[in-house]
Amino acid sequence: MSSQPGSLPNTPWVDVQRGLVSRDIFVSDDIYRLEMLRIFDRNWIFLAHETEIAKPGDFVSRTMGQAPVVVVRDTDGRVHAFLNSCRHRGARICRADSGNARHFVCPYHGWTYERSGRLMTTTFDRHLPQNFDFSQFGLAHVPRLETHKGLIFGSWNTDVGPLSDYLGDISWYIDPFLSRSPGSMEVLAPPHRWRAKSNWKVGALNFVGDSQHILTTHIGPLTLDPVRAARAGFATAAENSFQVVTDQGHGCTLTYLAPGLPDDAYQTHPRDIEPLYRQTLNGDQLKLLDRLRVIVGTIFPNLSFIETQVGPGQKAVIIRQWQPVSGTEMEVLSWVLAEKEASQEYKDTVLRNGFHNFGAAGVFEQDDLELWASATFASNNAIAKQFPYSFHTALPYIDKPEKDHRWPGRAFKPADTEVAQLEFMRQWDRCMRSNQ
Amino acid sequence: MSDLKVRAVDDALFIEIQRFLYLEAGLLDRREYAGWLALLAQDIRYRVSAAVARDAGVEPVSYAIIDEGLTGLKSRIDQISNPRLTRAENPPSMTRRIVSNIEAYHSQKQDEFDVVSYLLAYRSRPSIPEGGFYVAMRHDLLRRGASGWQLLSRSVHLDQTMIFDGALSTLL
Repeated sequence: MSSQPGSLPNTPWVDVQRGLVSRDIFVSDDIYRLEMLRIFDRNWIFLAHETEIAKPGDFVSRTMGQAPVVVVRDTDGRVHAFLNSCRHRGARICRADSGNARHFVCPYHGWTYERSGRLMTTTFDRHLPQNFDFSQFGLAHVPRLETHKGLIFGSWNTDVGPLSDYLGDISWYIDPFLSRSPGSMEVLAPPHRWRAKSNWKVGALNFVGDSQHILTTHIGPLTLDPVRAARAGFATAAENSFQVVTDQGHGCTLTYLAPGLPDDAYQTHPRDIEPLYRQTLNGDQLKLLDRLRVIVGTIFPNLSFIETQVGPGQKAVIIRQWQPVSGTEMEVLSWVLAEKEASQEYKDTVLRNGFHNFGAAGVFEQDDLELWASATFASNNAIAKQFPYSFHTALPYIDKPEKDHRWPGRAFKPADTEVAQLEFMRQWDRCMRSNQ
Repeated sequence: MSDLKVRAVDDALFIEIQRFLYLEAGLLDRREYAGWLALLAQDIRYRVSAAVARDAGVEPVSYAIIDEGLTGLKSRIDQISNPRLTRAENPPSMTRRIVSNIEAYHSQKQDEFDVVSYLLAYRSRPSIPEGGFYVAMRHDLLRRGASGWQLLSRSVHLDQTMIFDGALSTLL
């Protein structure tokens, strides 16, 4: 590819036909600003897990795109989310990451709001004009708020469709990880947080379906982990492994254990909790969990999830948010979940082992982050931008979903192609080109 | 406070403890991991936590980012010390651990000591050459035995609500 000296080549952002994706969209601050408008202010964005704000008054501070948001449970138990900025002069009404509030008092001039966001007093009410309407000056609500199996999502777009439509077929695949016992799942600790010198989409793509990086990037933990190392062939995916893509750009990869492993290898889930799954999941979803080594996926745009074995009969369910900071930086938030019914000892073990692998000091994470930062560094220059990224291993498969797939969504085999990644980029491109 | 005064170690012991902390910081900086592991008790509990920003007067909350015993630590070290098994530490980070503000007290047990120290650890690596700092208060439990000093437990409290330069791939 050639270009005039001093000018950028006019390469498309996403060229699905040729399997090429521009490097610019992984480094540019201009693209990042456009993403805020066209992706983060329009779609459903993950905010929090319900169990993080279990009691009335509990709140957490989060970010939707660039907007700081408080998610709070009110006195009646209802969940609200609003812009974390006073309607008077804009100071943050909550400057803590989490806590419990009777009401929210702006520290600047004292405007005071109920847990529901309603303005109670400005403290200078006596000077207000007679026609001042308190109901119009409550905290700016995130206008759409819905919950799916404990996950609270919000949207600034009043016209966005229902969350269930937005999630579409991916819910069938995530429900067995978000709610598989009568008590459902709970978050075990505050989220791990770390900054990465990398674009948020790199994380989203890594989780949506990137089986190709596992043996190279993660050769360390794959070689050393006692569970894996003890079982020859553990890293070999069974032939029934597959990727799933949904119409909304969500995707996941399900990797099943290869046949011929020691019998106890197939006891992947906790022995005493597993019977509870039968009370909650249907037959096909139970089948989905059977002999599943790992499921990893992304809900467009920036929520990912992984369930992986962290010990014999121990499965850590991890949810993960890739929060954009700029074109070349993100903040990652990562939660570990377990079944509410599990023993405290099991929860402690799964939390510890979960973040040993995937967390702010995770043995998988540390190598990912180094390589993502290096890709960002090496791509962020005009010369590099002449050479788009390759997604070619999607091309022989992307138009050939499995015909006999009996479960929701489109399935693709084998599991280690880039189909789900290219479909994620197709959805990104669709959103970015839409002026609506 | 009066209790702490009574429990404070004398100068000779203090210097021994200071020497131990400098020694192990140097071993980690030089990536002499076998030497470092030899200073750990078999049943060591090693913990690193970061803080959650909470309003003043509210009970502080932290979250562990590493919480493990000798097996977990050995596995981390097997990863970062083997060039074929690590991306984050090949080429290796350059680190410098500055240890200061040491306080040392006799614990309830004979020959065991509660030791507080401040840690300023600088780390630079090829992907982030400008480097960054981890700043922490450490609470150690040390034992003086026949074969020298040993680390029984370490709790590293980072004065940060997040890790700033990717995932932590070194020990503090």
